[in-house]
Amino acid sequence: MITKFQVAYKNLLRKRIRSLLTLVGIALSAWVLVSLLGFNQGYETALNKDIDNMGFELMVMAKGCPYEAATMMLKGGTGLKYIQESIMEDIAKEPEVEKAFPMLMSAVFDPNKGESGGIAGYFGVEAKSFAELKPSLKFKQGGWFTDVNANEAVMGYEAAELEQREIGDMILMPEKDVEFKVVGILERTGTQDDGTIFVPLKTLQKIFGRPDELTTIGIKLKKGVDSARLEEKLYKLPDVQVVSLAQVKDTIMKLISTAKVMVLSIAMIAILIAMVGVINTILMSVHERFQEIGILKTIGAMPWDIFQLIWIETLILCAIGGVLGVGLAMILSKVTEILIRYVMPYAPSGGLVLIDVKLIVITMAAVLCIGLLSGLYPAWKAGRIRPLEAIRSEVAR
Amino acid sequence: MKIRSLREKHFHSGVCTGAIWALFLILMGYTAAWGAVGCDLNDPDRDVARLFPESTGYKTHYVSIDRKGGAPLLAKIETRLGDKFRGIYETIDVPYTIYEIFTNKKKIGYIHGVNQKGQFGGIQVFVVLDLEGRIRGFYIQKMTSRYAGKIRDANFGRQFIGLTLKDFELYDVVSGKASGKVDAIKNPAPEAEADFRAALRATKKNLVLMDEFVYLPQAISSNPGGPQK
Repeated sequence: MITKFQVAYKNLLRKRIRSLLTLVGIALSAWVLVSLLGFNQGYETALNKDIDNMGFELMVMAKGCPYEAATMMLKGGTGLKYIQESIMEDIAKEPEVEKAFPMLMSAVFDPNKGESGGIAGYFGVEAKSFAELKPSLKFKQGGWFTDVNANEAVMGYEAAELEQREIGDMILMPEKDVEFKVVGILERTGTQDDGTIFVPLKTLQKIFGRPDELTTIGIKLKKGVDSARLEEKLYKLPDVQVVSLAQVKDTIMKLISTAKVMVLSIAMIAILIAMVGVINTILMSVHERFQEIGILKTIGAMPWDIFQLIWIETLILCAIGGVLGVGLAMILSKVTEILIRYVMPYAPSGGLVLIDVKLIVITMAAVLCIGLLSGLYPAWKAGRIRPLEAIRSEVAR
Repeated sequence: MKIRSLREKHFHSGVCTGAIWALFLILMGYTAAWGAVGCDLNDPDRDVARLFPESTGYKTHYVSIDRKGGAPLLAKIETRLGDKFRGIYETIDVPYTIYEIFTNKKKIGYIHGVNQKGQFGGIQVFVVLDLEGRIRGFYIQKMTSRYAGKIRDANFGRQFIGLTLKDFELYDVVSGKASGKVDAIKNPAPEAEADFRAALRATKKNLVLMDEFVYLPQAISSNPGGPQK
């Protein structure tokens, strides 16, 4: 015996092009929805990973310069503010602190980069403490500096690739006219370290005439301590400000929330359009089968049977459209990611669109619910068709 | 506007190939992004207009030795260069960017750059070529050296104008021995002999690669979607 599902399926096949176009509409809506929700969770996961990769939870820097890296890039190092290295000893004494890491960022102008010159940045670190901070760093060639005062450099993978350096090669710091011997090249990490040139902290302090000065102190906290309490204490230190990486994360998430609201609005519009498309398709189908439904009723079909029949058609359209949309989102997730990276001012490394089983289930449920809602009116209208009216309209034709 | 319309046209004409490439890129995902580093113009719109003033548009093509001919092609290129590809970054999978230059719809030449190991850092050497493979412009985009200013100077670059691969065939990139027109190229910074030689090696490598990728008959027949004469 033929089931209602089979009847509904065959009805959809009668007008293949129309059904196909409706499917495309639903699939596109589902694609946008999955991609957006996937971006929502992927971005946050990637951002968390990036922050974890930094190896510390708090940063201490000079007051009035929260975006020291940006300042450095814009002003070629001249806009940087410095803190005294001695502060680090005070910080290290705090019971919440597991370890404090000194860092000095410096930049020089290289007139021979491109047409109008560019900035070359250097990162002064203590090899021992930095290696402790980032135990995941591995060397492709060589190792860390041999001496705290050595004119030696360790290059991130991409920095070495661009400069065509191997261990034993020399690099020249433009403007300062200082040569460094490359003693190590790091393996690719997928983080900002890939493009960094590390030099010994003391050497960099000496070159830039800033002995005992730092741009940043990274603080790794002991497990389970109250970071807010430590922040309060650190704020009492003179001329420094504390940046919690959790705050940085919140700020970035707030910045991208505007973009997310806009995309969500577009997704909602796409879903509404798809809903109208579904209603239109099913209503047209009901209208075209006006007489047929009348005949079904005369031979004993109840309004609920007709209602179910039409509703199942909607369900089939939405289920297939939803599956296609989810598939599309999964296949094109890398393209979506490339687009996001292109338009976003900051995008963390790693996958930005994370599509998992939970997300697929949520999307399919949403699409089916929307579909069932869209099918309510056409199904109700079909259920109310009066057999005699339907047959008379046939005669009138 | 012209550049944009040309790009759009190029996109539409190659839509099938484009779709296949897009699919390939999707499937490859990060693998492609983690590959060897190529040599692109920093600002192609501005740089093409500056290097080829009469141009109205350009197309960008990416070619690599491993895709074009693999190990046999690498061996051939090394023989023609007279030196092995050296270093962990001068590899068979480096994607070379070829800019195909147009005046309206007429192709007028190419711009191609290569990375080269210099004394203190990577050097990026671009040559501007006409359809016969003759150098009509020379540009060092990046160089780290105390004497970079002299070697990047336009006067140094002008010495390369009019030269072809034939002129460089006798140049020994290992010993630096030259004859003929290449021998006439004067080093503006004798203190930076290593970088001067690196610039010459990069130019020869550039011309050999362009000959294999673009100018040789087999390059044209085996690369219907790519640059052609």
